[in-house]
Amino acid sequence: MSSSSTALRELQRDLENKANDLSKLQKDIAKNHQVRKKYTIQLGENELVLKELDLLNEDANVYKLIGPVLVKQDLAEANANVRKRIEYISAELKRLDGSLQDLEEKQHSKREAILKVQQRIQSHQAGKAKA
Amino acid sequence: MGKPEVKGTVTSLSSMFPPEEVQKAAKMVEGKLSEKQNEMNQLKEFIADNASLINLVQKLPDELHHDIMVPFGKAAFFPGRLIHTNEFLVLLGESYYADRTAKQTVEILKRRGKSLVSKVDALKAGIQDLKAEASFFDSTASEVAEDLVEIREYEEDNSTERASQSGPVELESPSVAEADNKVSSSEDDEYARLMSRLEELEKEELAAEDDGENDEDEDANANAAETETETDGDEDELTEAAFHRKKDEGYSSLDHGQRSLESQPRKQLQQSKGKDPMNEEMPTKYNHQGLTNQLACTGLTAEPVTKGEISHSRIIHQDTKMLNPPVNASVRSEKARSKQNVHDSSRNEKPVQTPKSEFDSSKAFTGSIIEHTENLEKKLPEQKTTSSQSSDSKPSKPVSRFKMQRK
Repeated sequence: MSSSSTALRELQRDLENKANDLSKLQKDIAKNHQVRKKYTIQLGENELVLKELDLLNEDANVYKLIGPVLVKQDLAEANANVRKRIEYISAELKRLDGSLQDLEEKQHSKREAILKVQQRIQSHQAGKAKA
Repeated sequence: MGKPEVKGTVTSLSSMFPPEEVQKAAKMVEGKLSEKQNEMNQLKEFIADNASLINLVQKLPDELHHDIMVPFGKAAFFPGRLIHTNEFLVLLGESYYADRTAKQTVEILKRRGKSLVSKVDALKAGIQDLKAEASFFDSTASEVAEDLVEIREYEEDNSTERASQSGPVELESPSVAEADNKVSSSEDDEYARLMSRLEELEKEELAAEDDGENDEDEDANANAAETETETDGDEDELTEAAFHRKKDEGYSSLDHGQRSLESQPRKQLQQSKGKDPMNEEMPTKYNHQGLTNQLACTGLTAEPVTKGEISHSRIIHQDTKMLNPPVNASVRSEKARSKQNVHDSSRNEKPVQTPKSEFDSSKAFTGSIIEHTENLEKKLPEQKTTSSQSSDSKPSKPVSRFKMQRK
């Protein structure tokens, strides 16, 4: 009896731990989603800028806002910068996608583990009740 | 054709869709809906601002310089002049600015306006979907509250299976989980198509309304009807072969996801209760059935179309409800209701032919088809109330026990 109750307590502790891990995982996944959203918006904006820059004449003035300073930039330079930024953002997005997949898998397996522990607890309790 | 076995199950709706969960789901959908509404409002504001800015930019170059009150700090102004009225420093995005003339600026602004408008349209579509979901959940909740019972009958036949509905019970197509995922994207289009098809069929059915009763479940036809490909005058087919053919056509045209669904309902149909499938029955009935079935089919197919949302499937199911022709007391219990599981949603309703012919002769049954068609007319928007409608429509027929039982 006591052994089974200690086993039961252990199982419950195990369950708590796993539940905590699961909630952490879920938070991570949520953060991942948020960052992804931000990056996606930035990517869209940069693509818009690229389009507009392409429509400009060669001699048009392009400025970049760096802090409180509006700095004149070369059109070619601005184009290159925007393109590099787009590449960087897409790479970040891909990386985030990969980690998101990872997190989801982990979450899935954690859920299953939790289920198993729950089942064991149930069987324990059923056994206890019978005894 | 061997005698099809008829099996059936009776499940209480509340057991399939626990009320609390339905309510929770409904609330979630409402939350999402309000979020989207907020976004939509914001976008609309942007569009309005953009339009006024375009106006201003167009007016400024009319003068060489404008006399204005220049804001100074937070709470002061001083008189000043706005010069270089044709030069604009336009924000291109991501802290990049460009010098442009008024005309060029207006062009940039117009392009921005266009992208905003397209975003608004996309949002609108999303809102529509959410609304449909919400209505579905609401109807589910009300049904559960009414303690409706799902009766599912399956007729096992060599070639076809059909689900029959009971009058008072809602018709729901058996849901197949897997189909939902696959069908989601294509479902929306199919759904629209099915709906239009459903309307056509309803009209036809009305025309053929004088056929009399058959308790055939149009579900069988529904499946066939589901595929828009059934443009041929399916309704006219009276023979069973034709009927089956239609079904097959329907199936073939169905999306693969739906197909998987179809196979599932077949299995579910296994439970025939001893009603002999009337597949071979009366040609006259078929005519009617064909119509109703088709109607049902369209309704049913629409279900799979929805993204696995119960709402859609439910709606369709309700439409197809009309298909149940109650044959007799025993049949009543057997009424098969193809119902989509909430979880699975998409599924085809297998048209299940209730053993009509046999019962017809021996028992009185209310010709539900006609009734149903009336329901069908109301169509999807009324899916919620189709159940009630079906009961309402019964009055024209000999009172069936279902009617009595229905509230």
